[in-house]
Amino acid sequence: MPENSLSSTETAEPVIKTKKPRKTIGFYLASAWISLVMFLALFGWVLPTPQWDEASYENLGVAPFHPSHILGTTNDGYDMMASIVNGARISVIVSLVAVLIGGGIGSFIGITAAYFRGKYDFAVTMIFNIMLSIPNLVLSLALLSVLAYSDENNPASMTRRVVVLIISLIIVIIPILGRIARGSALQWGSREFVLASKSMGSKNFFIIRKHILPNVAPAILAIGFLAVGSVIIVEGSLALLGIGIPGGASWGSMLANGRGNIEYSPHEVYLPALCIAFTVISFNWFGDYVRVKLDKRESKI
Amino acid sequence: MNILRQLLRRLIPMFSIVVIATFLLSLLMRLLPGDPAAIMIPNGTIDQQIEIAKETGLDRGLFGYYWKWFSDVFTGDFGKYYLNGGYRDLGGVIADTLPVTLMLIIYAQIVALTFAIPLGLASAYKEGKRFDRITSTVMFTTVSFPSFALALIFSLIFAVNLGWVDPIGYVSPSENLGEHLKLMILPVMSLAFGLASGYTRLLRTDVIATLKDDYVTMAASKGISNRRVLWRHVFRPSSTTLLTSAALNMGGLIGGTIVIETIFVIPGIGYEIFYSIGARQVVAMQTLIALISIGYVFFNTMVDLLTQITDPRTRERRA
Repeated sequence: MPENSLSSTETAEPVIKTKKPRKTIGFYLASAWISLVMFLALFGWVLPTPQWDEASYENLGVAPFHPSHILGTTNDGYDMMASIVNGARISVIVSLVAVLIGGGIGSFIGITAAYFRGKYDFAVTMIFNIMLSIPNLVLSLALLSVLAYSDENNPASMTRRVVVLIISLIIVIIPILGRIARGSALQWGSREFVLASKSMGSKNFFIIRKHILPNVAPAILAIGFLAVGSVIIVEGSLALLGIGIPGGASWGSMLANGRGNIEYSPHEVYLPALCIAFTVISFNWFGDYVRVKLDKRESKI
Repeated sequence: MNILRQLLRRLIPMFSIVVIATFLLSLLMRLLPGDPAAIMIPNGTIDQQIEIAKETGLDRGLFGYYWKWFSDVFTGDFGKYYLNGGYRDLGGVIADTLPVTLMLIIYAQIVALTFAIPLGLASAYKEGKRFDRITSTVMFTTVSFPSFALALIFSLIFAVNLGWVDPIGYVSPSENLGEHLKLMILPVMSLAFGLASGYTRLLRTDVIATLKDDYVTMAASKGISNRRVLWRHVFRPSSTTLLTSAALNMGGLIGGTIVIETIFVIPGIGYEIFYSIGARQVVAMQTLIALISIGYVFFNTMVDLLTQITDPRTRERRA
């Protein structure tokens, strides 16, 4: 068996791995890109760029590598570099917050459902199935269009839209991670050490915290990384459909604004598109690495 | 008898999921601030609004409205898409747009499978070699490439820069088949790209497992050519997961085409959903979203059932 992490993880039978998953070049590129995006999101303001929402009327739609606009400007004169930095902040905040909160709630519901079983489990499974029966994008589309309702007379404010977007994404994430957590917790909950702990009189939540959660966490973590990727995609799609974050404030929103100018300033489209794509791909690489790494322990037993 | 019981055991939860999901949808629609009838025709007169509220059951409270909608849909009346001073019948809208979306999805599936099957077989056959490592890495990277980003980059390259095809538009196949296929190339490629990567990975995994089976060694030792062993003895038993996943994707893709249809202005069901959300057509939104989730649940249930019928190993013990 070669030491390549891809080929060793994808065989159908669990293979006993004696070596650490190899850190491929893809892993390093993914970590570098995620660090860069994180850095831009947190400390992007130190860069000597113009304000992202202040247009420069001398330089409309200039191509990248312009002396005063390193990544060019949009057709309306907004600096691309500044917009991308600002977009990184919004996209990262939105997706991380949504996945953290949604994943937390989902895991809690999923694990407790698997542990306590009975009617509670039945109801939870039913609700998860209902929520999963509507495709992600359609569900968040419906939620967003109702919760962030706006018309000409009372447009929804930016903050409200961001908050509502995060809430819709949380609702989308809960059943996805909840089902993973439930499935994994069902397996672990029937193991001998749980029974042993129960027979020694441990309290339910002590068992969940001490015995089930640590074992379920790797699966949740790995899927969580993938979920960050899909949340970024949903955010981009929503913005592209014109009901996400408006005004070029996120990467998806930059795409939506730039689409009309694709002939005159193509960098308005390909820069944010590549940013979204690289981020999603990086989170997937990262999630896969985490999955392989954490999977190893179980296969050694 | 056995199959009938299995069918019933799946259809009942499926039906209840659909009922609850659509009920929650109508609850969501009622959360819209203001009078839904007034939202649907903002420039209509009060009389027109009252008439619409009566016609759709919006004047009857949540349960009355849901029951009206449900029984109407059950009897084949899908409601209306209201315009100022007129309406479009949603049954007609669905009949016009659903085939377009299905066509788009089926093209994408065909293209994806055409690329995925040879690639998956070849890279499994050469497991661990350079070809496999490169294919696997590329596939792992592209599987997560968002289709809308791909769609925009494709239209930038092929439509704007090279000018090979028109960036947007749709022609029905009965009108002009050549033009229809030409316009479908970009949307289909954008959808098929990610699908193909996923399918290649799935097939590769299964083929690697099958290649280790004794009967494959047996076939190879009989002197059958590698190509024949691969296609006849390995591919067929390995293709179950691939086909299941392709079938499961059908439902999800109907939702996923919304963005692609909007980018390329293709008059499919996804574009219609986007449009009805923009126009705040409460009834149209509910019917179309319900249609998609019914399709999704239906496909999943059917695939589940079919795998159980075709593969006895997955049947439930008790049945």
